[in-house]
Order: sequence, then structure tokens, then C-alpha cells
Amino acid sequence: MSKLNPPVQPAYLSGKGRVSAHLTWFDRVRRELKRNSFAYIVMIPVVIHFLIFEFGPFIFSFILTFMNWPLMGVPTFIGLDNWRASLADPLVWRSLWNTTLFALYYVVPTIILGFLQALLISSNLPGTRILRITVLVPYVTSGVIVAGIWQYIFKGSETGLFNYFLGLFSIPPQPYFSDKTLAMIVLASLSIFRVSGYLMIYYLAGLRSIPRHLYEAAEIDGANRFESVWFITLPLLRPIHFFVAVITTIGAFQVFEQMFVITHGGPAFATTTIVYYLYQVGFNMLRMGYATVVAFILFVVVFGLSTIQRRFLGKDVSYY
Amino acid sequence: MVRKFSRLQLVLIYIVMVVMIIAYVIPFTLMVLGSLRQSVNFIPDLGYMLSNISAENFRYILQQALFPRWFLNSVIFSVIPVITQAIFCTLIGYVFARKDFVGKSVLFWIMVSMIIIPTQLMVIPQYIIFNRFDWIDRYWAILVPDLWAIIGVFFARQYLQTIPREIDEAAFLDGANDWQVFFQMILPLCAPAVATIATFRFIANWNDLFRPLIFMLSDTMFPLPVGLAALYNIKGNFGVQMAAATLAFIPTFLIFLLFQRYFTQGVQMSALD
Repeated sequence: MSKLNPPVQPAYLSGKGRVSAHLTWFDRVRRELKRNSFAYIVMIPVVIHFLIFEFGPFIFSFILTFMNWPLMGVPTFIGLDNWRASLADPLVWRSLWNTTLFALYYVVPTIILGFLQALLISSNLPGTRILRITVLVPYVTSGVIVAGIWQYIFKGSETGLFNYFLGLFSIPPQPYFSDKTLAMIVLASLSIFRVSGYLMIYYLAGLRSIPRHLYEAAEIDGANRFESVWFITLPLLRPIHFFVAVITTIGAFQVFEQMFVITHGGPAFATTTIVYYLYQVGFNMLRMGYATVVAFILFVVVFGLSTIQRRFLGKDVSYY
Repeated sequence: MVRKFSRLQLVLIYIVMVVMIIAYVIPFTLMVLGSLRQSVNFIPDLGYMLSNISAENFRYILQQALFPRWFLNSVIFSVIPVITQAIFCTLIGYVFARKDFVGKSVLFWIMVSMIIIPTQLMVIPQYIIFNRFDWIDRYWAILVPDLWAIIGVFFARQYLQTIPREIDEAAFLDGANDWQVFFQMILPLCAPAVATIATFRFIANWNDLFRPLIFMLSDTMFPLPVGLAALYNIKGNFGVQMAAATLAFIPTFLIFLLFQRYFTQGVQMSALD
């Protein structure tokens, strides 16, 4: 038989390659390890590290939601009790509502401010560099530092800076952090101050990607500068508006620092956001299982938002 | 924009710009001014506010045993991850960009999709695991998980894809091995990507509150954000609080000024994940 079939097979079937069909899986693994040894030397520790510190904890967190896990003592399996308890917990709903309220105060002003900053900077006039650096400094500064300054600016007494400012317009001093409504607004203003410069970066990149000829055409058609921004810039930046809205909303749901530093969730739970609540449950009451359920609620919100974003921004959006 | 601005438009633009810059600078001015004064009260008289200035608060905070320790802890929590991530993220990114191994695309996909999981969810199981390891209140709890990060790997891989393969293939033909190619060619070629990863990591870790708040229990292990938050709870020493805040502010401010370009690139990059 073999004589009737002269060796005209392709190279991979001849010689060693042909034997490989009869190799045990062990030999194949060994050969693959040898051929790509560098990749495996690097990736095997990386995968182990990833399993221990990222993937493992994530799976573990899901299991935790079905457990009663006090820090001291024996963990017990309790089924859906944590989930059921969370649905019946008025503070879970309260903190979700508070977080939504925070998002309402924070998202839109931050976007408008970031867009305005990008628009000013894109004019490339002298001085825009200073503006660009200035608006980014709060973003690279710790929220705890800014919170300390905010505590001072919005001090409730007449000696507070903002109250002094209001006094100029003969508005009586306000008790910012002990007022249920004002507290959240002032905490949101801190985030607006910190994050708008960050959004400016995205808007600036977007503005620079809009081709000049569109503005030239509009100019020929007699559009003034405001009309150019309104009818060309804003609609063309739609993917960026959308992206930026999603990331700031995700950020809003993770807000924690100023609640932790300034109000401690008060007054009367008015600034207890979802992350602040999970911190309380997990690390003050030490109920790890229940805290994980609260964290999962946060995860579902974040996951939902980024899924929406992927759905709408999955493909590169281009209008020109 | 195409056409020239009219005089009125220019005036308007500059008014808005100046107001915005002033509004952004005021909080930091207050911080520095507060750190140099003893009195807590705001008095609307610049001359008065600038009189009786002293470095007393700085002297006081630096003589306290805890504050220098917090500063040192912050340096440890930020500088070591900057170094390890600069090397490891580039190395892993190099493997993902240039090498083949079983399960590469699945692994990459799983790692990238983990990015959206909020830290606040991961911290709880990590706390329980680190408790078993006896890592709570030790540097390991931050340093070991931060040896590398997927976002940096993603960035390095993306950057390497813009570098032609021929460059490293030529080195292999000259008889270099993988480690030589990586350390002598790839790492230097990736300098801009490394700068971005390092700048980002430094700022993120220097400002991180949540993880050290949970993993570090004793005040000698606090980094600055946790220590500052504790300091704020002692009422009535505003000057000292602002002196501490000013010292905590300086490092990220300087890093940002020096590496602005890389920082901006990193921000734009993180949008593409």
C-alpha cells in the first residue's frame, strides 16, 4: 500500500508531523509548552494571580450573598434570606433613592460644565492652557482633600465663606450639612467641581475630531457662531454626550468619599448612598453576606448602564 | 473654529474663562491660606487674612509621629505599584500582543470584562480572603493585588500593536531571547505607554480611600486619605487639617503638571475599553 502512495503528502503530514497524531495529550502539552514557553512562563503566574485576587473573589462574592458570614464565628448557608431581607430593608431603598437624587444633582451640571470648558479650550486663544490645567487639578486631587475644603467653605455658621457670600445678597446663613435637602446638593457640588474637567478631556477630543469644513459650510450658509455650536457641534458629539452621561452616572452610583468624610450619611440618613450603606453594613456591623447583596445591587446598576452603553456605542459612530 | 472672534465675543469668552479659573482656584487658595493661619474664621479682608501668617501648622503636623508615617505609607502604596505595573503590564501586554498560547482570546476577554465590576463589590470577598492570609493591616493587602492591572495591560497591548513586528523579529534573528527582546527593545519602545500607566496608577493609588480604609485598621498603617479623614474628625484645628491637606495635595499636583500629556492620553484610552 505504501508503495502505491508515494510520499507527496503536505509537509505537516510527513515526518514528525504525522507521528503527532499518535502522540499522547501529555506529549502535545509538552510540545506546546516548549514552543511558547515564554508566554506560559509569563501567563501562568498571571492567571493564578488573577484567579486569587480577581476572578475567585468575584465568584466568592456571589456565594457570599447566600451566606450569613459574620467576621467572627462560623459562616452558615441561609439561602435567599439576605436577598429577601434586602428587598424588605427600607434603608436599601432609601439609599438607592438618595443615590439617584445625587445623580440628578450631579450628572447634568457636570456634563454642561465639562462641555463649556472644552468649548472654551478649543478656541485655542491665549490663556486656554491655564484653564485646561486649572480644571483638571481637582480631578487629580484626592476627594478627601477637597471634602476638607468643602467642609470649611460650607460651614453652617455666619463665619462660613459661602454664608458670608450669601450675606452680601442679604440671604440668611444656611446650615448646609445639617439640612436634609441642602446636604446632598452641596455634596453633589463637590463632585461637579472634581469631575467636570475630566469630562472636558473627552469633549475636547470630540471637538477636535469634527472636520473644519462643516463649520465653513455653515458659515457660508450664514449661520452665526451660536447656531454652529447648536446645529453642528452638539449633534455631532452625540456619542460623546452619551458616553459621558453613562460614565458619570456610574460614578454617581459609586459615590462615597464626601459622605464618609463630611456627613457620615446624615442628617437622618439623607446622604446615605448605596456605597456608604454597604460600608456601614459590611464594615461597621460586620455583616459580610448582607453587605455583598447591597454591593450586588450596585453591580447590577453599573452593569446595566454599561450594557446600555455597549449596545448603543458598540460600533464606532461616525456621521461624516 | 474657522472665523475670527469679534471683539464682543472675545470679551465674553475671557470673562467666562477668568470667572471659571478663579472659581477653580479659590478652594485650593483657601486650603493653602488656611494652612498658614491659626484662626478658623473667614474674615473678608485680604490684608488681614494675609497678615499673621506662619508655618506653625506645618511644623506641628510634621512633628506629630503619625503624619510622616501616613505620608510614607502613601508613598509605599503608590510608588511600588507604579514600578511593578510599569514592568508587568507591559510584559503581559507584550505577550498578548505578540505571542500565542492556548486560551489567549478567552482569557483576554474575561479579564477585560472584569473591569466593570465595582471595587466596592470586590473588597468584601477580598477582605475575607486577606483575613485568612493574615494580610489585614499589612502592606501586602494593597501591594500584591496591585502587582499588575488589566487596564494597564490593555493599554500596553494597544500601544504595542502600533509598533511594527519587524522590529522585534529582527532582534530574534540576531539571536536575542525573549527576555532580552522585552527588556532591551520592547520596554524602551513602550516608554510613552509606560509613562501613561505609571502616571495613572500613581494618581489613583495616592488618592485611593476605599481599599486602605477597609484593609488597614491601625492608624500607623493609614495612607494619607484615610489619615486625613481621621484628622478632620478632630474638630477645631482647621489650620492643622489644611496643612496636612496641602502636603497631601502637592505630590499628585506635581506629577500631573509634569506628565499632563500622558495623563490626558490615559483618560482618552480608558474610554475605549
